[in-house]
Amino acid sequence: MSYDDYLDAKPVIVTAALTGGVQGKEAHPDLPETPDEIAAAAAACENAGASILHLHARRDSGERAFSTERFQEVTEKVREATENVVIQHSTGGTGAPDALRAEPLRTDPAPEMASLDMGPLNRYDRLTSENTRATVRMLHEEMRERGIKPELEVFNDGHLNESLAIVDELDSPPYFNLIFGSGTLSVPHPRSLQTMVSHLPEGAEFNVLGFGRHQLPLTTMSIVLGGHVRVGLEDNIYYRKGELAESNAQFVERAVRIADELNRPVATPAQAREILGL
Amino acid sequence: MADRCPYLDYRREAGEQTFDTARPYCTAADEFVQPMRADICAGRYGLDHATDCEIYLAHADDREGETGAE
Repeated sequence: MSYDDYLDAKPVIVTAALTGGVQGKEAHPDLPETPDEIAAAAAACENAGASILHLHARRDSGERAFSTERFQEVTEKVREATENVVIQHSTGGTGAPDALRAEPLRTDPAPEMASLDMGPLNRYDRLTSENTRATVRMLHEEMRERGIKPELEVFNDGHLNESLAIVDELDSPPYFNLIFGSGTLSVPHPRSLQTMVSHLPEGAEFNVLGFGRHQLPLTTMSIVLGGHVRVGLEDNIYYRKGELAESNAQFVERAVRIADELNRPVATPAQAREILGL
Repeated sequence: MADRCPYLDYRREAGEQTFDTARPYCTAADEFVQPMRADICAGRYGLDHATDCEIYLAHADDREGETGAE
């Protein structure tokens, strides 16, 4: 989790965020929504070098789904289509009640990892994803009961404060996903990333998520700073300005090429499990 | 559960976009709706277009005088 890790050629974990909950096929015609589409994208991303798959579920209409049953359908298809990848379920859900937010944790088997949003953020003009401390505590408690490692979703500096406050409750190493974008997210700039990394506790691992055009530069910077990267259509639908990405796997392929050029090997799923203590 | 937004429709095609299944479409904005916003349109989870959707509010005046307009 430092520049020394870069110099030591520590393996870099590539997470592919395939679907998300905000955009759908109205924004990108090939964004995977059905269980079969998500499974096909998952297999392509694993083949390209992703070791973690971040999953959401959708209804047939493309609208958001949170039920255990729908996540079960998605995760079974993904497990059938992939070899050994780490499955991470989202527990995000702007506007959805807490009880629904926990449902993706209850598949059989449970996911090895799940996202844990660490505080509030605004959506559109009139919507807020509240993520109160009580909600975070409830989701974290259920993750612990089911042996699921949380990925702490740090949308801004305040969420880092919230994360540091519970770091003693986390299994080692804590895993932070540092998120950069517009609105209530951290200002998307290299200085912001360096500052955030400087506040992480000793021994922590971190991942970087940059929305839109910030995905490429900030994930590249993460590789140099000893961190890991998240790419995919959930966070960015453009491969470059004005050009829609072909697929999730295209982003993974680019991340793998960059890591290779920077002399950090890409982690296998087994190495990702070892690094994250799964 | 809040009422469904009067501007919500489900369509398989509009303009140059076509889909295998019907998706939420906003007849006020004349575009397919993002999945997260669609939960407001559909009145799920206690979300209400009359308070939570700026698109509805911007067009609500247009509906005054229509039968059943809010």
